[in-house]
Amino acid sequence: MLLATYDLWAFVSENWRELLDGLVNTLKVSAIAIAGSFVIGLVLGAARAHRIPVVSQLTAVYVEIIRNTPILVQIFMLFYALPQIGIRLDAFTTAWLSVMIWGGAFNSENFRAGFEAVPQRYREAGFALGFGRLGTFLNVTLPIGGRIALPSSINTYISVLKNTSLMYVIGYAELTTTAINIANLTLETLEALTVLGVVYLALVWSLSAAIRMLESRLALPESR
Amino acid sequence: MPDWAGPVARYILETGLPATLKISAAAVVGSAMIGIVFGTLLTIDFRPSRMLIRGYIEIFRGLPILVTVFVVYFGLPALSQTLKFEPVPATAIALILWGSAQVAEATRGAVVSIPREQHEAASALGFGWVGRHRFVILPQAFRRLLPPFVSLLVNIVQNSTLAAVIGGIELLQASKSQVERLTFFPPAGIGEIHAVEIFGAVMVLFFLISFPLTRLAAYLERRLIV
Repeated sequence: MLLATYDLWAFVSENWRELLDGLVNTLKVSAIAIAGSFVIGLVLGAARAHRIPVVSQLTAVYVEIIRNTPILVQIFMLFYALPQIGIRLDAFTTAWLSVMIWGGAFNSENFRAGFEAVPQRYREAGFALGFGRLGTFLNVTLPIGGRIALPSSINTYISVLKNTSLMYVIGYAELTTTAINIANLTLETLEALTVLGVVYLALVWSLSAAIRMLESRLALPESR
Repeated sequence: MPDWAGPVARYILETGLPATLKISAAAVVGSAMIGIVFGTLLTIDFRPSRMLIRGYIEIFRGLPILVTVFVVYFGLPALSQTLKFEPVPATAIALILWGSAQVAEATRGAVVSIPREQHEAASALGFGWVGRHRFVILPQAFRRLLPPFVSLLVNIVQNSTLAAVIGGIELLQASKSQVERLTFFPPAGIGEIHAVEIFGAVMVLFFLISFPLTRLAAYLERRLIV
């Protein structure tokens, strides 16, 4: 019964330095992975929407593999299996790389759907104005399709952030690992879980609120 | 096939796979039952109940599932010794908390999408609130719920691997322990590392379970739109 000794304030004031470092690491890994999965999603999503040969098929294989296998197994593969064939990644690299690969797969689906939702006649109008294929993509498909894809891609970024907690299995000192390790030492389990809950919910809820705000601000004029 | 593969495969399939299936089955059934009830109750215009269920949904959809697993596995026993669970049931409970929140949200949307007239017609036939939802509204909403349900099943099967984090022996943990065993010197192991082959096989196994289901979900989704 640890409830009788529950003291959140003491826990935070004694461990705030480590917890803050953990949070910074969570945010650092998330930021790198989100930026990377944005670029992967944009490029591969465009390749799929425009049916660019080879790249499009390879992307489909990549997306299906990532979507249909647990991310935890993917992390194990990177961290515990790759050294067998001579590729050694440290915990930090594994952390951002694994969630970036995961997020990139989901994000390329988000962007593909967004770009495919742009009516063909808009692109034809772009061609008629004298834009080439790239010009049409940058000036017509991207601004419209990107806006359509934005809410679902932010949802993917939220999942990326949540998935950084899985780095507990490779011992990378992000927020979850830090808090649980302190709890194991001091037995302040409930306090550690409270901190985790509050911080993650604050992050996730504010990102969700951002989606709702962006959704109404970036909505296409015709759907308003 | 090398000599070591047989016993490894047997252990993973006989000890790991059943636990994965047990966690997944319990989590899907539990999520469906709690989620459908919560989702339907959420459509009632009664503020306190709505706020409670809304809070439940937002909390368990917002937390990383691993944190929910820790709350169940480490947090509940700290509250009361009677709430102590083994890793496998603890994972199933955590997945039910997360999954039921997903189902509740989907159910709410599906129930709201059923036209008013259906409610009115059912009331005119003499159904009370429970009968109206049980026999008229939910059967129609279920069609809409089917695609998210199949997606949920895929997610639950994949997230059952979280049991490995707290030492529950399911597919991933079973294969991890075999990778470790093989690195020992004989007689326990063979002093070799075979992580790529074993974790690769686990990926293939999950893919074989998930891929048909994600196809099915996509198919059901398309059929719904038409």
